[in-house]
Amino acid sequence: MSISSENLSGTVVARPRGRIDYEASTGFQKDLELLVTQARESGSALLVSCAEVSYVSSAGLRAFLVIARAAKSAGVEFAVCALGPTVQDVFEVSGFSRLIRVLEKESDLRA
Amino acid sequence: MANLVDELVLLAVEDDGRISHTAGTNAFRLALIGAALIDLSFRGRLDADLHNIRVMSVEKTGVPPLDLVIGRLSLGQAQSCESTVLSLYEVSDTLVRLTLQSLIDQGILGRTEKQLFWVFNERRYPVVYGVEQTEAKVRILTTLRGDQLPTPHDTVLIGLARTGGLLEGFMSDAEINRLTDRLNLVGGVDLIARGVEMAIYADNLSRAQTLMFMG
Repeated sequence: MSISSENLSGTVVARPRGRIDYEASTGFQKDLELLVTQARESGSALLVSCAEVSYVSSAGLRAFLVIARAAKSAGVEFAVCALGPTVQDVFEVSGFSRLIRVLEKESDLRA
Repeated sequence: MANLVDELVLLAVEDDGRISHTAGTNAFRLALIGAALIDLSFRGRLDADLHNIRVMSVEKTGVPPLDLVIGRLSLGQAQSCESTVLSLYEVSDTLVRLTLQSLIDQGILGRTEKQLFWVFNERRYPVVYGVEQTEAKVRILTTLRGDQLPTPHDTVLIGLARTGGLLEGFMSDAEINRLTDRLNLVGGVDLIARGVEMAIYADNLSRAQTLMFMG
């Protein structure tokens, strides 16, 4: 699992790639926590684009929840987008997609 | 810090130390097994996806109730969450007994000859490493009445308390009804917790069918 990120006109966009399972979840969470801090300091929103995420396990889902909580308590607008069918199923069955903002594509955040 | 198994059992212990009748229900027992599996997943012993629980390590945790469950799993085992929970039902009595003993060992509960009691004469946990963890009922009510996102631990606690029939022990029907939307939103946001719900549903269905055939 790897993450790239960029700041696009008031939005920090994180683009994880690969599987977010137990083995990857700790690193994923730490990287995203840094981006929450970056977003707070720059007054930006944080968008996690999951187009290249192939798998999210129960542990990966928890990491997303921790990040969503961190963003909320930091006053950072948070959303995920571009979920593939497998990841979308995980978010829907678990109920996570009701708890956070899920967008179809990156440009929807400011739409 | 109290784990999920501890907290589910504590929710079944009344303020005066009596064990709630809920603790004898199948729903509670299955929820407790689910709690043990999730505690094990927090400790890196297993992970789950939409289809299976995958056992990654059977190394003991040093927590007797969790080691009871890990002892029943096989390394590399991949089985649906629902089947895993149902297959562990037979250890649920032992799981309750070991958890009560663990709570006594942790100094949260005490035991006289006749019954249990809360060591601090109220629903409180001891301070561990300078940190006092807020008791489960208080955390559940704070999460349900507020608008914060729950922690991974607390979303599962709320979901399992609900499916295990424990909320009725400290919330009125009116309050549960009033907070249904919030319960649906923040309770059990976890793949294993969803599997536990399915196991309880399957168990209820199976028992209802048995009763229909007998009737």
